[in-house]
Amino acid sequence: MTNTLVGKPVDRVDGRLKVTGGARYSAEFNAAGLLHAALVLSTVSKGKITAIDTAAAEAAPGVRSVLTHRNAPKLKEPKPDFANGGGIRNEERIPLSDDKIGYGGQYVALVVADTFERAAHAASLVRVSYAAEPPELNKEQASATKRKPKENDQGEKTQLKKGDVAAALADASLVKIEATYETPTETHNPMEPSATVAMWEGEDRLVVFDATQYVKGTQDVVAQAFGLQRAQVRVICPFVGGGFGCKGAVWPHTILAAMAAKVVKAPVKLSLSRHAMFSGTGHRTPTTQKVALAASRDGKLHAIRHHVETLMSPFGEFVETCGARSTGVMYASPAIEVEETLYEVNVAPPTFMRAPGECPGTYALECALDELSYALKMDPVALRLANHADNHPFKNKPFSAKHLKEAYALGAEKFGWSRRKPEPRAMRDGPLLVGWGMATATYPGYKMNAEAKARLNADGTARVQCATHDLGTGAYTIFTQISAQTLGVPLEKVTFELGSSDLPFGPVAGGSNSTATVGSAIYDAAQDLHNQLIALAVLDPQSPLRGLNPGDVALAAPGQLGSKSQPAKTDSFAEILRRAGKEFVEGEARMKPESKEAPPFEFQSFGAHFVEVKIDPAVPRVQVSRVVSVMNCGQIINPKTARSQVLGGVIMGIGMALEEETVYDPPTGLPVTRNLADYHVPVNADAPSVEAYFVGEPDYHFNPLGARGLGEIGITGAAAAVANAVFHATGQRVRDLPITPDKLLI
Amino acid sequence: MTDSDFQSLPPTRRDFLRQLAAAGAAVTLAPYFLAPSFAEARETAAAGAMETALSPVPAGPEAVDVTLTINGAKQTLKLDPRVSLLDALRERLNLTGSKKGCDHGQCGACTVLVNGRRINSCLSLAVTHEGDEVITIEGLAQGNELHPVQSAFIKHDGFQCGYCTPGQICSAVACIAEGHTKHDDEIREWMSGNLCRCGAYPNIVAAINEAKGQPQPALKRQLSSVS
Repeated sequence: MTNTLVGKPVDRVDGRLKVTGGARYSAEFNAAGLLHAALVLSTVSKGKITAIDTAAAEAAPGVRSVLTHRNAPKLKEPKPDFANGGGIRNEERIPLSDDKIGYGGQYVALVVADTFERAAHAASLVRVSYAAEPPELNKEQASATKRKPKENDQGEKTQLKKGDVAAALADASLVKIEATYETPTETHNPMEPSATVAMWEGEDRLVVFDATQYVKGTQDVVAQAFGLQRAQVRVICPFVGGGFGCKGAVWPHTILAAMAAKVVKAPVKLSLSRHAMFSGTGHRTPTTQKVALAASRDGKLHAIRHHVETLMSPFGEFVETCGARSTGVMYASPAIEVEETLYEVNVAPPTFMRAPGECPGTYALECALDELSYALKMDPVALRLANHADNHPFKNKPFSAKHLKEAYALGAEKFGWSRRKPEPRAMRDGPLLVGWGMATATYPGYKMNAEAKARLNADGTARVQCATHDLGTGAYTIFTQISAQTLGVPLEKVTFELGSSDLPFGPVAGGSNSTATVGSAIYDAAQDLHNQLIALAVLDPQSPLRGLNPGDVALAAPGQLGSKSQPAKTDSFAEILRRAGKEFVEGEARMKPESKEAPPFEFQSFGAHFVEVKIDPAVPRVQVSRVVSVMNCGQIINPKTARSQVLGGVIMGIGMALEEETVYDPPTGLPVTRNLADYHVPVNADAPSVEAYFVGEPDYHFNPLGARGLGEIGITGAAAAVANAVFHATGQRVRDLPITPDKLLI
Repeated sequence: MTDSDFQSLPPTRRDFLRQLAAAGAAVTLAPYFLAPSFAEARETAAAGAMETALSPVPAGPEAVDVTLTINGAKQTLKLDPRVSLLDALRERLNLTGSKKGCDHGQCGACTVLVNGRRINSCLSLAVTHEGDEVITIEGLAQGNELHPVQSAFIKHDGFQCGYCTPGQICSAVACIAEGHTKHDDEIREWMSGNLCRCGAYPNIVAAINEAKGQPQPALKRQLSSVS
């Protein structure tokens, strides 16, 4: 197969729609007779509702309904089976199902009116009385709920142990580092607030336009809640205005919109306010991570201990898995101990946020490695090379197509790392302190289940379908490229369709799995389609391929099948279909769960970040001035969109390092930083020039395209590289993010 | 849901939504083929033929009349005085290109050009725009010919999810017209009112650098009617 498209920097196929305003997001499906809903959020974090006065709201102009726990229809509690294609819930409670309050911002009423303005006004008239109790907001207050989960929601082990960690940490001949690193609550804040437009067709058919990373998951959970079959619920989401994890689970607002539409018997739109996005669609839990390292003078690690404490809500367990997903895969050390501890607090449910586990986990581990490099007076890159893991530390299997050493080398070269003066505060740019730091990035190669359907029409066009998603990742584009290449059809003749539950099964767009998963399904569907064309050709007396063994025939060139043994014998798609009198031929693929037999390799991507910061010592605000990131993710399908994914991850990592923090008010438990003026995400002026490079080769052990996803790896290690650069610039080690100027003034 | 539910939409949109609504049938979602329909919608608007509401939107007894020009087409609306310019565009005129990201003037996703200046349309009440000339993302391209800033955003991958993009592009058009594009740092500073959570900032700067040297025909033509 000639490689004509995969690996090419094709412009986004949905680019024109996005730059003209033509791309339609979930809140933009306006039907006639549409009603608007507005939420009332709990102003306490723990306790009970004692009374709700809805009279004024009900009497307000244009109001059709006010739903509270007193009158809301009783729905079924969905129990989705994610491992078998079901949905995801992080809040395992039907909204408005009772009077209990478990967190601040919990929905306590929903007002439906004929305009947005009237709904919002009426919602302000709802009066709620509570019997409030003091909320537990941190691990000290919630110490009674402490527990150590054996597994996370994906069935991965969270507590790991090998070798004698205690002995190494007690060995006086070794150099030790022991430190506690903290990351705050971080909120995804995609630019598109979550929104749902729900409309019923009769009593038992529901159409939902929902901002989701998982249409099939939304379909499953909503169907279960209303006691319907999946086929009775259609979920449509052609565009997602960013997700970063917060649109992967089904949140209460989606169920509420459908509930309200059923009550008022009209289409209902429910768009979350930015304020509601701070409690309604999850966040990254705060982490406290104690890391201890023991190394010999040559830099070889003898032990890593990584103890993690995180928080969860009263309405469902979620483990951030910081230790297993960073220390559990990163370095060759004879002794490793990872512990994960959970506390239940009166805060809204956390969820996965870009590289859950890896992102905060690599921050702690990679900062500790940096501290060790100073203690050993060893270059940070050399220290990492000394501990390079050829095999997975716990599975004793080699990593497939791991090219981390090349990533370090290329990154160091592009950055000019050899010119770094090792001592802190040794580099200056005029009055500014300059710091250079680096860190390792890592993210697993995940693959899930998917189905795909491909249709080749007699006119030469093709349509390929899978219920996957494009969150801005470039999925529309790369799957069009993969479809065009695997089918052997020009790019402009291919339409790739996604974002509807009517399409063949696609998994959640999470875990950076889509490229490998859906790409493989497309590959298989194309093979299936070719097999049908081959069958037509070899049985066709008029075909040059007649009588050949089907196994001898394959795609020879775009639009053409040919004999492998006799290359002169070819036949075109168009001729085969014309002679067979067929308008089209269809292929499909159903990828089954991975076989129980484990593959002989571990699939894990790695990379390295090199960061320069500049700091005015008088006003110690950190400006990241330069980043070089090198990633090893197997085959890059589209260098343009791939580069953008890495840039975006790095810039979000800069936000994590320097700006982002969701603060809760101790007496009430309500988020204080609940808008984009108080919760700072990076703006254009905060973003440096970022150079992104890719090394390595296609990972064909992993899938036939050789690709490992890269939506998340860019953020891993990024905050550590910034924090390490800040130490190099200032000599101050800030171990609690974000590194705001006040923490450097001491 | 029936076809008539969508009668207020321009025809190509209606066709699209009819496909979406076809109960039981496999949906044909080919969104990127909709670009021409988009241009068509703009042309329709320019001809003054675009219907002004998705469905009769109650304005209440306190409703106020306002007449303004949007993308070259004069519109007279009867509005609840609480309606923001953004909600008038999105909910009353079906011009959903302008985005609501925060509704507090903090993110810039709602940026439109009013009398040639960029503003956050979510912070501005529609009824205060009597006689104003509003250009939205839908009004930048001339037919199928993209504005140079739009083309540069595609070439340099100046977006990912696309949600902040209409605001970024309107802001960039104004930023270039203001002359705040002399060097990268100046662009970064003057584009910092438009958040992009996907982090496309370096590519946005590259796109503006490319577009700033080109003639800006669409904007000039449309703003030439502004007195």
